[in-house]
Amino acid sequence: MAHARPIATTRSATGIPTARLAVWWILASEVVIFGGLLGAYIMHRIGHPEWAEAASHTQTWIGAVNTFVLLTSSFTAVLAHQAAERGNGKEAAKFLGFTIMGALMFLVIKSYEWAGEIMAGYTITANTFWSFYYTAAGLHALHVIAGAIIMGVVAFDAFRGRELHRVEIIGIYWHFVDVVWIFLFPLLYIAK
Amino acid sequence: MSENTEHNAHHGDGHDDGHHVNYFKIYATLVVLFLISVAGPELGIRWVTLITAFGIAVVKANLVINNFMHLKWEKRLMKWMLATSVILMFLMVAGISPDVLNHEGRNWENVATREWIAAQMGDDHGEGEETMLAEGEVEAEPAGFSAASSFGTVCATCHGAGGAGDGPAGAALDPRPASFVDPAFWEGRDRDRIITVIRDGAASVGGSALMAPWGALYTEEQLEQMADYVMSFRPE
Repeated sequence: MAHARPIATTRSATGIPTARLAVWWILASEVVIFGGLLGAYIMHRIGHPEWAEAASHTQTWIGAVNTFVLLTSSFTAVLAHQAAERGNGKEAAKFLGFTIMGALMFLVIKSYEWAGEIMAGYTITANTFWSFYYTAAGLHALHVIAGAIIMGVVAFDAFRGRELHRVEIIGIYWHFVDVVWIFLFPLLYIAK
Repeated sequence: MSENTEHNAHHGDGHDDGHHVNYFKIYATLVVLFLISVAGPELGIRWVTLITAFGIAVVKANLVINNFMHLKWEKRLMKWMLATSVILMFLMVAGISPDVLNHEGRNWENVATREWIAAQMGDDHGEGEETMLAEGEVEAEPAGFSAASSFGTVCATCHGAGGAGDGPAGAALDPRPASFVDPAFWEGRDRDRIITVIRDGAASVGGSALMAPWGALYTEEQLEQMADYVMSFRPE
């Protein structure tokens, strides 16, 4: 029964479930955050031909592997949603678990990549290209970490058959994190 | 269970539960597009790179947003909400772009950026040089290289224009940037070591990684000129 639930989580003036509306609102604000950052990067990149030299030091293959990892984790996130829709919480939790593993793998690869770059002297203060590089990818990585933690909580409940609608909500967020990386990958690694 | 029922009820109006996306097919398409976006730029043709890298990114994002995030089935209200956000973001970027993209306007010129780019580009980076020569403003010929001016744009931000380690960006660094006017600095340091540190960064000789490697900016000859300029700060 929904007797103890706050009204805001159950009513819906728009006809869209509140949680889903809320996560899309978050994403709408994220669009401006990441859009502003990437927009600024693109403008500087075009205005500064000398950045090509700095950009040539990023490791395409590491970025590529991470792109594949995130794409795959998005796939397992949507499979979790599918399982939740069928009311199969255990299955949903399993796929969320795969997605969390994808997130961890992404972070491990990123740490390896950054460690090498920092030791080679390409730090966040080396020049403006590297400042953008670490800020954009770092902000994205924070989103990956947050997503993985929330997914753990959702999976914990889903495994017990509770709050299955949350599986879709965290999934929507996770796909957004994937979409941001889809743009970061060519911007930071391919356009050299 | 109530959540579930509620969820499904909502699905009835927000989503059409009749949609059966073949998620695997979408995923396979994404992977193929991803492989093309990695392989395309390898050809080294500019327009192929732009299309495969950025064109495909847009297609991939579209596939994810519509099929994985189910935006396709959301109410129009939601799409307008997101569209507003995207439009505002583009407005913001468009508003800033004249200042960032251009280095001159009707009544102003960004001299510092011009000089910075010229110093950074050195003499043998074809593409950028072309752009700059087309603008007819900056001479990027080998004869145009000046160690003093390069020091002013590259080094002075931390080491200070007078080499005393008092540049504006250096104040916050730990350790502080080296002062070339300090006799103690020159104990055990010679020209070769200065060249090495400029080229490979101070970390290469066990110093601070904050002194980044700048070798990519200079030819061997220019490195020597830079070192000579740094040596000129040395007190007698």
